[in-house]
Amino acid sequence: MTMRDWLSNRVRNDVRTALEKPAEWRADVAYTIDGMRRGTIDPRDVAKTVFATMATVVFVFVLLIPVYWIFIIALQGEGATLYSTDSAGLIPEQFDPAAFIWVVGDIAIPGAIIGITIPFIDVEFYLSWPRIVFLDAGNYVDSTSDFPRYFWNSLYISFWTVVFAMLMIVPAAYAFSRKEFAGRMKLLYGYILFTQVGAGLGIASVIALYTIFSSMGVTNNRLVLSLYYAAMAVPFNTWLLKTYMDSIPTSLEEAAVMDGASPFRVAWEVVLPLAKPGIATIFIFIFLVGWMEFIIAQLILSPEHYTLPVGLFALIDEHNVPWGQFAAFALVYASPVVFIYMFAQRYIEDGFSFGGTKG
Amino acid sequence: MSLSSVGDRTRERYQATVPKHLRERLDEHRPLFLVLPGLLAFSLFMFFPLAYTIYLSFTDAEPSTVFQDGPGGVTGFFGLRGEESFVGLENYIAVFSDPTFWNSLGITWLFVICSVALKVAFGVGIAMIMTSDRVKGKRYMRSIIIIPWALPPIFTITIWSGIFSSARFGLANQAVIFLGFSEQAWLNDRWMAFASYLVTEMWLAYPFMVIITVSALQAVSDELMDAAKVDGAGYFHRFWHVTVPSIKRPVMFASILTAAASFTQFLIPYVFNRGGPNRANELIVLHGYQEAFNFNAYGAGAAIMMSAVAFIGAFMIVAVWKGRLAEGVDGP
Repeated sequence: MTMRDWLSNRVRNDVRTALEKPAEWRADVAYTIDGMRRGTIDPRDVAKTVFATMATVVFVFVLLIPVYWIFIIALQGEGATLYSTDSAGLIPEQFDPAAFIWVVGDIAIPGAIIGITIPFIDVEFYLSWPRIVFLDAGNYVDSTSDFPRYFWNSLYISFWTVVFAMLMIVPAAYAFSRKEFAGRMKLLYGYILFTQVGAGLGIASVIALYTIFSSMGVTNNRLVLSLYYAAMAVPFNTWLLKTYMDSIPTSLEEAAVMDGASPFRVAWEVVLPLAKPGIATIFIFIFLVGWMEFIIAQLILSPEHYTLPVGLFALIDEHNVPWGQFAAFALVYASPVVFIYMFAQRYIEDGFSFGGTKG
Repeated sequence: MSLSSVGDRTRERYQATVPKHLRERLDEHRPLFLVLPGLLAFSLFMFFPLAYTIYLSFTDAEPSTVFQDGPGGVTGFFGLRGEESFVGLENYIAVFSDPTFWNSLGITWLFVICSVALKVAFGVGIAMIMTSDRVKGKRYMRSIIIIPWALPPIFTITIWSGIFSSARFGLANQAVIFLGFSEQAWLNDRWMAFASYLVTEMWLAYPFMVIITVSALQAVSDELMDAAKVDGAGYFHRFWHVTVPSIKRPVMFASILTAAASFTQFLIPYVFNRGGPNRANELIVLHGYQEAFNFNAYGAGAAIMMSAVAFIGAFMIVAVWKGRLAEGVDGP
């Protein structure tokens, strides 16, 4: 089963469950009403349940008001401020996508000319197409944000973070899960410890880190930053992938060994394909490290290499914060994270009940 | 020439050049080499800067000295060292005799105590609601309620700084005006700013407590619960004598971890008002950061950071040790 099949199966199942839910609820409600009519279910009991559920729904909404509020502000247009109730109230006054257009800017496929020369016969083709514009921001807003530039910087850094980290983590997780070597348990415990204290120690050593990077002349170097993020991602993700690999039965590997496969082939052609869901999970976690980190990035990057978090903070650091623009920027920045999370959530929750350090 | 014959050739050369006893050792520990790249990279970016922080804390490092070309060679850490010179314990003495350091440390511990208490109370409360039999659709609500955990910290913290904006229609001001009070300049008053840090920290960290507590609550024995019900124990009685003992340990564990996170909280005070007003609310890590990057005293900043690490390290050791003790007393 390929990765794509696995993903599409999951999505299909999720959608089907979501679609079947209303019918299930309707059946539940019908059963309850029927029970009350017959007198087998106590109406007071039902009232308590309904009241508790509704109170909880209200409570959840109140808890998430900050997110709702920033959403409303983003829809009040570019000029929204906290100095008028028109643009900062909890009940929206208007819907204006201008702030989002300011963030995203033009949406277009750049025009290009490609020359193809067929060797030996001196025939040249020229393929050219004009710039195809889906959305011309200039029609709606005066200027556009630096979001696209920050976005590419973030994407670039996250990409290399994933590459570096995968190269280090996947072999290590395999060794932890399947091999025996000196200091294995000690290392594993060390990694688990650092999943908890790593962030704190990392920020405590920020002065030295800045000094080292400056002395070596690698501030503003996005690849070095990626390598740093990858290294910081090692303990947690190695442990996570190791626990996933532990759950893969070894019988297939034994069969492969019986058939004379080399250790490398066993790892590459048997264990890795089976570990794909685990690898997908750590892919997301590692990608998000680079996507979300702020402190080191703002310390060592210059404005032309700012990532999205640094760009977001730069907006709010102005004296007259443009709240409408800020809100739209923040939402566009955070939305992929939320979508990924919503999908991955059940696996994350499973992660908390993993066996952990066993064996 | 086929690929496998290249492999054979290499293997032959390997066997010829590397002595047998060393070869046996290497083969025995071969899996270790799969682990080493990650371990080395992590050590390079985690332990080396940490060791370098200790070094800096004993020097008079500041931008004008530390970025000069140093002596080079082994004693100059291969060009890493600048013209900073060794000053012994001077930085530590200066830091420990500076009242702003003790103020910062005090406010940090106060922040840790208050925020952990709030997080535990709030987290356990939400977890109780989210596992209650009376609430329908709690699986869905659970997945919604831990959203703050998934959002990028810089996103949530900048939003909360807008909520506590002194502007007339910041969300916090809208709320207090609705309740009949006058609007506040939240971040200009020391204790108001501190309270706003606490609220934000609580909102950021409750999902972690909820997840841990929910899985602990699901493990509470139903038989014990039913037995208590049959014996006529009321709701609070059951909570105190059945639920609390069974969730105590995971919640304690989570509290220790979240306390360490609160202790090293940097972004909230930094984004809100740079630990203001007048540096009154600089949590310890921010204090070290400001000394280094605002006042150009890298040595003193490093000394503050190392002191912070020492304090939180001591706390963690005592907490874990105490936790172990409790384990032995309570039995499994």
